[in-house]
Amino acid sequence: MELEKRGAVAPLLVTSTFLPLVEAQAKARRVTPRIVVVPHPVGGLNEAELAERIEAAAGALLPLADEARGSA
Amino acid sequence: MNSDWDLAVVGAGVAGLTAARVAAEAGLRVVAYDRMTPGGQLVNLTTLHDVPEPGEVTSSAGLLGRLVAEAEAAGVTMSFAEVTRVRAGAAPRLETSEGEVGARAVVVATGLTAGRLGLPGEELLVGRGISTCAGCDGPLFRGRAVAVVGDDDWTAEEALELAEVATAVTVLVPGQPRWSGERVGRLAASARVEVLTGATVTALRGEGVLSGVVVATAGSERELAVDGLFPYVGRRGPGALVDGLPTDEAGRLRTEGGVRTAVPTVFVAGDARSAATGSVPSAGADGEAAGAAAVAMLRPAGGPGLRIVDPTFGVQPADSAAEAQAGGTADWSEVALFSNSKPNATELLRGVGERLQEHWELPELGFASKPNASAAADKDVIDWLSQRYKMVLVAVGD
Ligand SMILES: Cc1cc2nc3c(=O)[nH]c(=O)nc-3n(C[C@H](O)[C@H](O)[C@H](O)COP(=O)(O)OP(=O)(O)OC[C@H]3O[C@@H](n4cnc5c(N)ncnc54)[C@H](O)[C@@H]3O)c2cc1C
Repeated sequence: MELEKRGAVAPLLVTSTFLPLVEAQAKARRVTPRIVVVPHPVGGLNEAELAERIEAAAGALLPLADEARGSA
Repeated sequence: MNSDWDLAVVGAGVAGLTAARVAAEAGLRVVAYDRMTPGGQLVNLTTLHDVPEPGEVTSSAGLLGRLVAEAEAAGVTMSFAEVTRVRAGAAPRLETSEGEVGARAVVVATGLTAGRLGLPGEELLVGRGISTCAGCDGPLFRGRAVAVVGDDDWTAEEALELAEVATAVTVLVPGQPRWSGERVGRLAASARVEVLTGATVTALRGEGVLSGVVVATAGSERELAVDGLFPYVGRRGPGALVDGLPTDEAGRLRTEGGVRTAVPTVFVAGDARSAATGSVPSAGADGEAAGAAAVAMLRPAGGPGLRIVDPTFGVQPADSAAEAQAGGTADWSEVALFSNSKPNATELLRGVGERLQEHWELPELGFASKPNASAAADKDVIDWLSQRYKMVLVAVGD
């Protein structure tokens, strides 16, 4: 969030259990972060499971990134 | 002298957020300072034990989200600055990293510092084997041996959490354990946990990275080879932060009963208070009491009073536009990844980053990471990333 405040576009890949925390911190800092939610947990996943998470996260990130670049 | 605030709360953990919310709901103008991010200890914990009642568990992130949302809704202003000194008195003044402010009352809710053994070379090994967050750094010790130092319920829980990943967890108890009978049973049932009582760590081993500790027990001393060390002793209160207030031997502020101190305008809540029991429910109860005591002190006549609405509430501070300009001259080909160093976080980021790299035909991706998961992001790294890159993909969570 500090990065966004300093002008960098900073999408956050947030695991689902941390979403309430990130939302609360964003509210407290008065920023609206760009968030991609990834099912928790990520640590301890095997390669195939991690590849699934990457696929799903990339699916959400690419349009978000295109939009940020397009509106800049 | 005019006061900028009715109440300034120092520290936005459970105690501070609760005190701030209670006072703001009563119509006071409240600022809550935190040098890091709201939540305090909650940020480091995944599951809270014995919350809300003994034997029950609660998600830390969920509780934190609720506490922050309630404080915000009540009109508390959050300020991310460090308070370096509180000049107590009839009209308290606070020195902060962003200048000096006045408040009619102050609640000190700074909690305690991280655990430390006070041994030579210790600070150099923090993040290189020494950690105080099993949830954050535990997975780094998968398949390795660790030691935990402490004697309370939370030490026992941290040891049990570590035993899920480490091969051996030696719990070094300086005197006798204070943890509950139920935890005695769970520790005894874990084949990976050994508890040594009357054990003192006398030296740390390791060049650059921890490789072991020297442990003294009654009449003998031995080397213990461990890659990880989790100290939960030696935690200190805010000590000299507030002028003229007495402290106990751990630097926690003494009160005159409950949350009131010898100075009528200063209250103390949560772990920072001498004799606090050190739990989430007790920090919450302290916060309620301190918020209510501040309201009672500032509104002795009673009655709901006038609610003063901050006309700038919800408006971005004037400097944020300037900050937003400070993003350097990077263009959209400059993209980086910023990992929180949790297990698989970097792999996830790299995977997603590669997809973006293909999609935008980027020549390369930058990369930075926190030294370890429990450390705050380094300011210089944030400065560098925001100057050098147009987009930074950040990993949060685990
Ligand atoms: C490892 C561990 C596990 C635990 N597990 C449990 C559990 O399962 N269940 C339970 O009930 N309790 C647990 N506890 C205890 C519980 O977390 C604490 O008692 C409680 O969170 C304390 O809240 P607090 O608001 O007093 O302080 P903290 O949570 O420490 O918050 C203090 C805040 O003040 C800020 N601050 C400090 N100094 C300054 C300054 N000078 N200027 C500005 N800001 C400042 C800090 O950044 C921090 O955000 C655990 C504790 C530990 C250490």
